[in-house]
Amino acid sequence: MATPPCNDPVRALAERTALVDGMVERAAADQLWPRFPAGMALLAVGGYGRRHLFPHSDVDLLLLIENSRLGTDTRERLSAFLQTLWDAGLRLSHSVRTPEECAEIHDRNIELNVSLLDQRFLAGDRALYANFAGRLPRFLHAQRDTLARNLARLTRERHQKYQDTFYHLEPNIKDTPGGLRDYQLVRWLARIRDVEALEIEPAFLFLARLRCFLHSRSGRDNNTLTFDAQEQAAEYLALPGAAQLMRDYFRHARDVYRAAVRELESSEAQNSSLFTQFKDWRTRLSNADFTVARERVHLRVPQGLEADPELALRLFQFVARHGIRPSAETAQRVSAVAPRIQEWFATPRPVWPALKEILSLPYAAEAVRGMHDTGVLRAIFPEMAQIECLVIRDFYHRYTVDEHTLVTLQVLAGLRAARDPAVKRYTDLLSEMEEPALLLCALLFHDVGKAVENGGHAAASLHLAEPALERIKMPRPERDMVCFLIGRHLEMSAVMNSRDLQDPATARHMAQRVETVERLKALTLMTYADISAVNPTAMTPWRAEVLWQLYLSTYNELTRELETDRIPAALLESPEKRAFLAGLPTRYARTHSAEEIDAHLKLEGVYRQRGVAVALDKLEAAWRLTLVTGDRPFLFASVAGTLSSFGMNILKAEAFSNSQGTVLDTFTFADPTRTLELNPTEIDRLRATVERVVLGRLEVRQLLQHRAKPAPPSRGSHVHPTVSFNPEASDSAALIEIVAQDRPGLLYDLASAISSQGCNIEVVLIDTEAHKAIDVFYVTAAGHKPEGEQLEKLGEALRRACGA
Amino acid sequence: MKKIEAIIQPFKLDEVKEALMGIGVDGMTISEVRGHGRQKGHKEVYRGREYTVDLLPKLKIEVVVADARCEELVKTLTAAARTGKIGDGKVFVFDVAEAIRIRNDDRGDAAL
Repeated sequence: MATPPCNDPVRALAERTALVDGMVERAAADQLWPRFPAGMALLAVGGYGRRHLFPHSDVDLLLLIENSRLGTDTRERLSAFLQTLWDAGLRLSHSVRTPEECAEIHDRNIELNVSLLDQRFLAGDRALYANFAGRLPRFLHAQRDTLARNLARLTRERHQKYQDTFYHLEPNIKDTPGGLRDYQLVRWLARIRDVEALEIEPAFLFLARLRCFLHSRSGRDNNTLTFDAQEQAAEYLALPGAAQLMRDYFRHARDVYRAAVRELESSEAQNSSLFTQFKDWRTRLSNADFTVARERVHLRVPQGLEADPELALRLFQFVARHGIRPSAETAQRVSAVAPRIQEWFATPRPVWPALKEILSLPYAAEAVRGMHDTGVLRAIFPEMAQIECLVIRDFYHRYTVDEHTLVTLQVLAGLRAARDPAVKRYTDLLSEMEEPALLLCALLFHDVGKAVENGGHAAASLHLAEPALERIKMPRPERDMVCFLIGRHLEMSAVMNSRDLQDPATARHMAQRVETVERLKALTLMTYADISAVNPTAMTPWRAEVLWQLYLSTYNELTRELETDRIPAALLESPEKRAFLAGLPTRYARTHSAEEIDAHLKLEGVYRQRGVAVALDKLEAAWRLTLVTGDRPFLFASVAGTLSSFGMNILKAEAFSNSQGTVLDTFTFADPTRTLELNPTEIDRLRATVERVVLGRLEVRQLLQHRAKPAPPSRGSHVHPTVSFNPEASDSAALIEIVAQDRPGLLYDLASAISSQGCNIEVVLIDTEAHKAIDVFYVTAAGHKPEGEQLEKLGEALRRACGA
Repeated sequence: MKKIEAIIQPFKLDEVKEALMGIGVDGMTISEVRGHGRQKGHKEVYRGREYTVDLLPKLKIEVVVADARCEELVKTLTAAARTGKIGDGKVFVFDVAEAIRIRNDDRGDAAL
């Protein structure tokens, strides 16, 4: 196989075109013209028409005929002609049309319509061709909107097929976004709209050279740049290696893709004027610096950038706030003054407040992408230049390093729309972050060290980030956080892969590394974003689960530490508090804030005077009853029963008791009929009733007698009740989990069953999922973990209570 | 031929891979799986809520070897994957009827 001289691809393609022209003309002279001296013309269309014939590309021929009715003889002649060319080794793709048929616009004709943009006369009836060619410009002009729309639709479909990204490990250099087809699209759309095409010739030359190579390498129309082909192509193009080849490829593909998207947007904007008018309400977002028109931001004074480079930052603040991208013209202007911006930011200046604002706003990811695309990000942080289009060449990394960085920010932004509960917990984590801007800033820098060859890249990134952060005058405490995240960004994934997460030592190790809950949260999110941005399927549900478990065990380790650090200090505050907290399960202190503990302490004071203290609070979508009193049998059951007798639906309950026998029970409940809200006097009556029940002045059974029995559940929604024990969950108590059909009074019945067996409820966790109640009780008997026969009897009683 | 399917602790992957390569087994399929055996799951408390971890993340390794190598492989694998604690996983051995290399139609042991 001879390698063609592809260093001048344009010449090579033209030479091949000329060769094929000769073959076609000779075959036509032999087979066609003797029989059809008039009424037929041969046209080269598509790639062949524009003289871009690659070694094994299809040769697109259009046979223009005057009369659409072809006799058998004509058909035979045409077949013979085409066969000659086939036999000569050409891959022909032909169509036979009258000039009128060429001008038909319909779905099946799109490719032909488009291929006409590159038509060229080869041979045959000149008069027929002249007639057709004379009408073509008018046709193209009249139908330009339809043509542009069809082209745009086809292109969007093709881009979608490749997930709308030009980042592919083994790209098809013709069809993937940013490939040769997009290059043609840019030229076609410009021609249809009668404007000058964007300048992307260097990209064309690069891609054309590669395609020539791929064709001659495989001996067919193969446009996939496989890993093997990358190695050989790098050698062929005299590049230092495949990584460099791919870096060049992505750089060019990016230029083509951006140009294609810009052309698509311009054509679509022209086509949907009504829609854009509708959307132009956004113009009221305009301010002293910017106007908004047609969903794009424009500079009021485009020349202002030279004198005021910080206008670029304000532009991207605007983008980050409103999620509207800069217009193509604005982006070009900003790119053009990038060197001036870089000069400005080379002197240490307090850029951080402006940057922090961008990173804190809702559309931070879009803004940073815009800053990257216009070169502003690199102008502020020249450190970033090293990772531009840098390729990590393996089967795992889908994106170049700079793109990976931008994708991490998108991943975090995408968390806001998460529905899947497994992902949603990371969303919650993000919303708990005090300073998300610091996390985003750390992500910007986390891989800048990847271009450095020796040592780990985390350390290299940190080394590059430190002076940069100092230059933008980030205050010390914030810089510490960002540097911590950059330097440690690989640690959680390392622990995930190499440590036993069930081993308490793993949580201790991780807790020592992160030191604070805030850092743990940031590092967890950073790890989540970093893994997710390696390739679209890297963050499997499996990985998300492993990461979450590591977060959870470390979080609990840290909060346990907090407890031992904090509680003794709090204990010293007052003897009352000390006495109240003593003996409460450690969980209590871990799950209640200092304010809540103070409120509970006040209730305890009331209890000491009156024998019982009850508080009722309105929550967001529910009510909470807090009870402090002395422990006695059936206490929990009685309160649960009282709430049920008022028609309340218990959602969650907790029971704690301290070493003095003081009980703290909290019930969170829904008020389905809004009784309490509509009748404020009922609030007092409920409180008073609970007090009377607790003090033994009222029988809860009497209260419940008056309630109507609930309708039996329909068959479809029936939950099969189960009672299960988990002997390993706790050293001091038996854990019983009950899943049953939820119904008013269920908790009362279950709690009564436990009390009737002489057991004490230490902790209760109630949850309801639709009609299903999931109740977990930690139960002791005479201060010990119930075992053996007692546990069996308890199980029987509970099964009876819930109908299992 | 035998197919060996092993469910192991994720953090043991590197050790197991190295041990298998050490005895000349270099082809294997690894997948991320979730499940539980006797280890059941466990409960974690997070902000006052019990959080049940019922399906634990594990890795599944699949290898097909000639009959004669099976015992050695299982021994090496279990030794490398063992911590002695509950949750270490399991190994299953299956008979394989045939193996075919798609590239050149090699069959039997030659295809492994």
